[in-house]
Amino acid sequence: MNVEQTAVLVAFGLCAFLALAGALGMATTMSMFRSGIFLMASFIGVGGLFILLAADLMGLLQIMMYIGGMLVMILFMVLFMHDPGGSMMAGMPDMMSPIERFFSRGLQPEPEPEPDEKADDDTGSSLKEDAGHDAMNRDEMDHADKAAGHGSHGGMDHAHMDHGSTSCGDMDKMGDMGGMDMDMSMVTPVRPVAAWGAAAIGIGLFALLLLRPDWPVAGQHPNPDSARAVGMMLMHKYMIAFEGAGFLILLGIFGAVFLARTNQHAEAPGRALPVARREDPPPAESGPAPGHEEGKWS
Amino acid sequence: MTIPLTAYLLVSAALFAIGVYTVVAQRSAVMILMGIELLLNAAGLNVIAFWRFVQPDDYSGQIFLIMLVTVGAVEMAVGLAIMLLLYRQRKDVQVDSYTELKG
Amino acid sequence: MGIAGKTLLVTLALLAGAWVSGRIERVLMRGEPGAMHQAGTAAVHLGRRDRWLYPIGPAVALAAVLLGAVVMPFGPALVGEDLQIGVFYFIVVIDFAVLGIALSGWGANTGHAVEACYRAVAQLVAYVVPLGMAVVGTIMMAKSLSTTRIVEAQQGVWFIVLQPLGFALYLVTGLMQCYRAPFLEPFADSVVGGVLGVSTGPEALIWRLALSGLLLLVAAMGAVLFLGGWSGPWLPAPLWMALKTLGLMILMLAGGRMVRPLSVARMLGLSWKVLIPLGLANVLLVGGLILLKIGPTG
Repeated sequence: MNVEQTAVLVAFGLCAFLALAGALGMATTMSMFRSGIFLMASFIGVGGLFILLAADLMGLLQIMMYIGGMLVMILFMVLFMHDPGGSMMAGMPDMMSPIERFFSRGLQPEPEPEPDEKADDDTGSSLKEDAGHDAMNRDEMDHADKAAGHGSHGGMDHAHMDHGSTSCGDMDKMGDMGGMDMDMSMVTPVRPVAAWGAAAIGIGLFALLLLRPDWPVAGQHPNPDSARAVGMMLMHKYMIAFEGAGFLILLGIFGAVFLARTNQHAEAPGRALPVARREDPPPAESGPAPGHEEGKWS
Repeated sequence: MTIPLTAYLLVSAALFAIGVYTVVAQRSAVMILMGIELLLNAAGLNVIAFWRFVQPDDYSGQIFLIMLVTVGAVEMAVGLAIMLLLYRQRKDVQVDSYTELKG
Repeated sequence: MGIAGKTLLVTLALLAGAWVSGRIERVLMRGEPGAMHQAGTAAVHLGRRDRWLYPIGPAVALAAVLLGAVVMPFGPALVGEDLQIGVFYFIVVIDFAVLGIALSGWGANTGHAVEACYRAVAQLVAYVVPLGMAVVGTIMMAKSLSTTRIVEAQQGVWFIVLQPLGFALYLVTGLMQCYRAPFLEPFADSVVGGVLGVSTGPEALIWRLALSGLLLLVAAMGAVLFLGGWSGPWLPAPLWMALKTLGLMILMLAGGRMVRPLSVARMLGLSWKVLIPLGLANVLLVGGLILLKIGPTG
């Protein structure tokens, strides 16, 4: 085994590890930001695999698309989610499975368990309230006595306010979440079923791949300068598909813009404010203004 | 040729399984979109691996990947726009608060 | 000259260039409010940082600059690695700088830094499409993605003469890409310098190096794409390259000073309403020129 083969082997190991660990981390971490970064790492690993497979252009295309795409997606997550930093779940490690604990806490092993917290002040107190609430919830599940529960819930609400006001600003939705710890988790209650199903799919695919006789592998090595060939093909043989993709992107842009426009569906409660603001336009003020101007000019 | 085709396919299969888990288990719509991206990517890895090992002189596999990435990008854009709409209506993008959408 | 020698050469060139660009910037921006790299006096919240994401940020940004410098031709044979898809590689790799800002901004865990992270991502969305369109014109004329081929295609006439619109687009998007004068929103005073405001010690040094290197690389790539790279009479090739890079850098910095700083929202508006249509027009014009057989032959 010469040096080049070793280098290829090491590169394959690194890229495959990056792809798989990134995907696993994306699926299991409690911090949404971190989950996006993990998915980006996974895609960069897959891009590295493409480059190892002599498709340099595709690897770079993959990396370019998904750096931008994942960063924008992270932006949206941070805007929409209750707890993009995963700080609430980080305070209650008992609710996570070991692998989730590894990907959400193994990366931040400092004893202060809320490093992703975005609140500007009193991190410590909200953290303590979280922990206290969690302990209460574990010991006496639903039949907690009112007094202790009330104080703790108050603290919980305060913690929510902190998260909400700094991360996404929808406190009205979160204020009444005191008793439902599962709702703060990023995963649904069918998580075990999903995990077993995914494991079954993975094992089935692995078994099929390993038991199947090998594909007929062509021996020749592709031309490393594939950009020219791909471009030629895109413009000759696959012209229709290329134009179709362009049209699809155009439609996607139109669809996204029309969906995200604010001045439709005026009856929706979320739109009450902009619509109300639009209903008192300035003609009342601009009406007398010309007359005043005329009076001044004449 | 030190890395066999099966190694790439195994990586792709594992990515696919993780993507399935993400789509089923995650509760926020953004995370489900990310799981779908992962599924598309596993398919793309398969395409490129087969292109490289089975028919490296025909570049159709790479064209297919370009299409795949395009579709993924458009899906993400439209998905995020729908999510923006849902958030404006309900202040929430957790998919289990939209259960009345079924049938 | 093996890989080690090339690496050393590229790194030394990059360091020297980053130092020079920093000096130029200091001369041009002396005593101005809102000038970049002046912040750093804000209260730095130590201890709440993400232990992993925060220190990775500057390393990722510096890696982007170093990787981007690999394909930069300083002379006929003075190029780190003459990739077949060099320009595309450059565009992709430079995007890692945004990833670094996002990682560090989120990991720093202060409100200003997180806002700087959002702004940097939004700025990426604003510049990446028109930048691609400005570059596509030169690629179409040179019929290659390799940086050295693009320079060789300009032996007769520089591309700035044939595509002035593309050059103007490249100047604007390049300024957006390296966060200089009218587009310094992610590092503005309103967020106390963004990630620069919260970084200290070696991290601050790496940040400054990476940002100066970003300016240098963007100017050098502009010289390669539009000003004929190393080609020129009488003087040796690397000197021509350095002179053109310096001239372009001064032009960009001084021109950017003439314009009021734009917010990210106005940047996005500028990008989608002005720059992208102009970019499409540029591609059409260049296509027409090629059909009329104006430009480099062969």
